[in-house]
Amino acid sequence: MEGQELLVQGKNAVITGCLKGIGRSTLDLFARNGANVWACCQYETPEFLAYTKELAAANNVWITPLYFDFLDPEQIKTAAHAIRDTKQPVDILVNIAGMTQDALFHMTTMDQMKKVFEVNFFSQMLLTQYITRNMVRHKSGSVINISSISAIDGNPGQLSYTASKAAIIGATKTLSAELAASGIRVNAIAPGVIKTDMTEKMPGETMAQLMAKSDLKRMGSPEEVAEVILFLASDLSSYITGQVIRVDGGIG
Amino acid sequence: MLLKDKNIIITGCARGIGNIILETFAANGANIWACARTKTDAFEARAYDLSGKYEVEIWPVYFDLADHDQLKNAAKSITSSKRTVDVLVNNAGITFNAVFLMTPMTKVQEVFDVNFFSPFLFTQYIAKTMIRQKKGSIINIASSAGIDGNAGRSVYGASKAAVICTTKAMAAELGEFGIRANAIAPGITQTTMITSMTDKVIQDTILQTDMKRIGNPLDIANTALFLASDKSSYITGQVLRVDGGM
Repeated sequence: MEGQELLVQGKNAVITGCLKGIGRSTLDLFARNGANVWACCQYETPEFLAYTKELAAANNVWITPLYFDFLDPEQIKTAAHAIRDTKQPVDILVNIAGMTQDALFHMTTMDQMKKVFEVNFFSQMLLTQYITRNMVRHKSGSVINISSISAIDGNPGQLSYTASKAAIIGATKTLSAELAASGIRVNAIAPGVIKTDMTEKMPGETMAQLMAKSDLKRMGSPEEVAEVILFLASDLSSYITGQVIRVDGGIG
Repeated sequence: MLLKDKNIIITGCARGIGNIILETFAANGANIWACARTKTDAFEARAYDLSGKYEVEIWPVYFDLADHDQLKNAAKSITSSKRTVDVLVNNAGITFNAVFLMTPMTKVQEVFDVNFFSPFLFTQYIAKTMIRQKKGSIINIASSAGIDGNAGRSVYGASKAAVICTTKAMAAELGEFGIRANAIAPGITQTTMITSMTDKVIQDTILQTDMKRIGNPLDIANTALFLASDKSSYITGQVLRVDGGM
């Protein structure tokens, strides 16, 4: 038996939402653990391009940036085909990209709700359909979806977001059941309050309430979430599928 | 080497899941208090071999979990070593598979003694040290039976449900001291513990998993490895099901 070192060495991963937050930390951690990555985000920036080149060189892996908008199914299709046309096997898919549009229920328009569902759920499923076709062909893979503790616990002011993340949980369990026969594991992570742009605008009172409920009494870092994603992507979790793992410092 | 220089207590090391956790943790650089009920040449040899192979320290600790005096002395011998106790893995356990109507109260008591009361007491001793250190990770090996409540596993499941509940309470109470507490809920795992189950029950259970296979001890050990390491630093109060998708 060997001690664990590079947990995803030689694996090829698709990671979305790589520009910042949890996606950026996951890209970083995966490269440092030996994975090649199709690093997806919405648009190119000089900083991102430079960062991916540097990260790839430092870790002796390839990182291919891919830019597409989750509101445009045609762009998703083009990106998926670009991946397919490399003829490389995809071992890991991490669906991180997501958005929120906070409003109380009675102040939420159907257009807002549909937009959040488009980005957080329907487009995720579309991309997952494309990528898992690749995984089915080589009979192995690990898909990691990002849900949220709010999907399990509910969260005032975030109906669209929490409902779309709850949809991810249902889909995760169904996909696990359907794809297990093809050697594909599907799991979800439910992050708690993580220090990213998305929580910067959280009302102070909500933050205080959640911190009071948490066991560790602190926010989590995007790196701490990335570590759990890495675990689920790696062979360490080879008998774990259909699960939702709360990464929340013990809020629930 | 995910556990380099950590000092870790593991109970139930002589066979099954505990034996594989022992090797996995040693391979990842941990020094280990390897607890087992009886001193045997085979176990001494195993500890010695692993220690040499992976260049870590392995200290066998022998005590009967059901004997609270032995348990107290064992805990004392560990905590008085003045080493940091980074992780406690409460793995030792027994089962009694029978339908509810054929489960005598003596067996209920016996299963709860080993699976719940003793690890509860043992963790009390070890947690005191972890509180002084302001750090630690407690990993309790529970079971899917503790969540699902399966036919034929009422007392085993109940004891593991108790473990799960106390895991969450411990997490809530000890979080402020930098101590995490989590449980692992294995599904059906290939160890001597399932030899008392009929082939039919085992096959039926396997069919209920998405992955359509039985678990092996390494699957559980690798999740314990993750929870013992700093990689799980924001996970506490959780029950991780390692069950092939039941």
